[in-house]
Amino acid sequence: MIDVQHLSRRFGPHLAVDDISFRLERGEVVGFLGPNGAGKTTTMRMLTGFLPPSGGTVRVDGFDVLKDSLAVRARIGYLPESVPLYRELRVQEMLWFQGRLRGLSRAEARRRTGVVLERVGLAERARSLIGCLSKGQRQRVGLAVALLPEPEVLVLDEPTSGLDPLQRLEVRALIRELSKERTVLLSSHILPEIEATCPRVIILQRGHIAADGTQTELVARLGGGGFVRLELARPVELERARTDLAALSGVHSVEAQLLADGNAACEVRGEGDLRGALGALAHARGWTVRELSWQRPTLEKLFTHIAFELEHEHPAGSVRAAPPSAEGAA
Amino acid sequence: MKGLAAIYRRELAGLFLAPLAWILLLVVLFYQAYFFLLVLSNPSRGPEVNEALSLVLGGGYPFWLLLLTLAPLLTMRMISEESRSGLLEFLLTAPVADGAVVVGKAMAATTFLALAWSSAFLFGLLVQFLGAPPDWGQLFTAWLGASLASGLFCALGLVSSALFSTPLLAAFMAILANIAMFALPPLVRSLHGPAGALLAQVLERIDVFRHFQGSFQAGVLDSAHVIFFLAWTAAALFLAVRVVESRRWLG
Ligand SMILES: Nc1ncnc2c1ncn2[C@@H]1O[C@H](COP(=O)(O)OP(=O)(O)O)[C@@H](O)[C@H]1O
Ligand SMILES: [Mg+2]
Repeated sequence: MIDVQHLSRRFGPHLAVDDISFRLERGEVVGFLGPNGAGKTTTMRMLTGFLPPSGGTVRVDGFDVLKDSLAVRARIGYLPESVPLYRELRVQEMLWFQGRLRGLSRAEARRRTGVVLERVGLAERARSLIGCLSKGQRQRVGLAVALLPEPEVLVLDEPTSGLDPLQRLEVRALIRELSKERTVLLSSHILPEIEATCPRVIILQRGHIAADGTQTELVARLGGGGFVRLELARPVELERARTDLAALSGVHSVEAQLLADGNAACEVRGEGDLRGALGALAHARGWTVRELSWQRPTLEKLFTHIAFELEHEHPAGSVRAAPPSAEGAA
Repeated sequence: MKGLAAIYRRELAGLFLAPLAWILLLVVLFYQAYFFLLVLSNPSRGPEVNEALSLVLGGGYPFWLLLLTLAPLLTMRMISEESRSGLLEFLLTAPVADGAVVVGKAMAATTFLALAWSSAFLFGLLVQFLGAPPDWGQLFTAWLGASLASGLFCALGLVSSALFSTPLLAAFMAILANIAMFALPPLVRSLHGPAGALLAQVLERIDVFRHFQGSFQAGVLDSAHVIFFLAWTAAALFLAVRVVESRRWLG
């Protein structure tokens, strides 16, 4: 549905997006993740036809964004980062205007206005002046504006910024619901946002794709990110416990240490969730177990790893993506 | 076309929703009424209705001073501020051609001015009621010419709004450019010598005031003069669209 090839964009001497390629299939939900200044907004602006690329091509549903700009724009619902809205208009007027811009009939625009306002939870604010709404409410009006044309592709730049935790949950749920019908590309610099909504993640770092894949793939690539945490009540023979744990089949590594209160904490890494085997061992040895828990591998580790690693190894701007990227996953 | 109509309606609504527009409308009304009454009550020559009416519609410097400042003030925010607030990003990612966005804005500002100039019809009705019927044909032609000239200056205002990043700077530069455009031809005509003559010939082509006097003010609807205004307006609009496009490249 979206096909990006060797896309670049420079601002003067500064390369904001440097030769990125990726594809989104119809119905896919993909999260753009990256620290501030990574190039997420710039990439989205090129996808939506606002910024012309310095190099490379963008195709949406087969249409080139430069040559068939209007066809591309007609297929995309876009929520820009700045959430542009006419503050002097009422919520419903803003939506009707969007309907007219998209060539909808008056009746159809009004019908859809009701539907999308219901969806974003603002039905009772239809007559409010946009300038009088809170930041979070305006964010949701922006979302409604993007949804109104019922586009095949949704491009949402930081859709949950400025929302309170409860509204975040609502918007996440909304995006998950939308993802059943549409292709969605959303960006965030906050990892949990992406983790909660997007099966596939593209991590951008200084204009490069640092990683691209499903969350499970990426986490697997991180290698043994998850571990079992086992805490044993004192008295504990630490060395003995360590060797016993390490001897279990499937265990790759054991880190054990005595805590200040005399209890022992162990982090056991191996083939997945080994809680069953560990519990059985503790039972056999007669250890008193204070805690036995599976610490899920997280993208956060990968994210910080990538951001950190690259910053360290390449202080200059010319960074090539380290982990395998688009071609590998596509 | 649907997109153009949508933009036009939105911009016109935007103008009337802002307090500035109403203030400007009042200013026009008082200003025009003042000069109208000034000529009408000229003690030395007695009331000259048609002269007074033509004065408020392009027949004298007061009108042009007003137009040269109003058009920039109306258009100053249309691109520069929307570029800042991100609304331009919204408009330029909608399935509407860039040209339609710019033309819709220019049409909205021009409509506003045309509406403001129609206060002359009120004065006309007034004197008709008082028993001195005006030349309605001449009045209408002058109004049409004033509206055409407004279109040109609104288009120029949009060029400035696209070029400069803050509304006030855009308005300031547009007013300067307008005054230069207006004042240069008569200045150059007063020069003597071959260089002056050549320059005068060139400037003749952009002498708005003369084109206006030559036809609309005299009550003659001459297609050559209509085309003069339309062609320059189209050129200015084209330029504005190009500037908007180049802004995209710059980011
Ligand atoms: N209009 C612009 N002019 C100059 N530089 C820009 C412009 N827009 C973005 N940049 C630069 O491009 C880089 C990427 O920015 P952006 O795409 O906004 O990042 P993100 O959205 O990931 O935070 C930044 O270093 C930013 O300074
Ligand atoms: Mg951004």
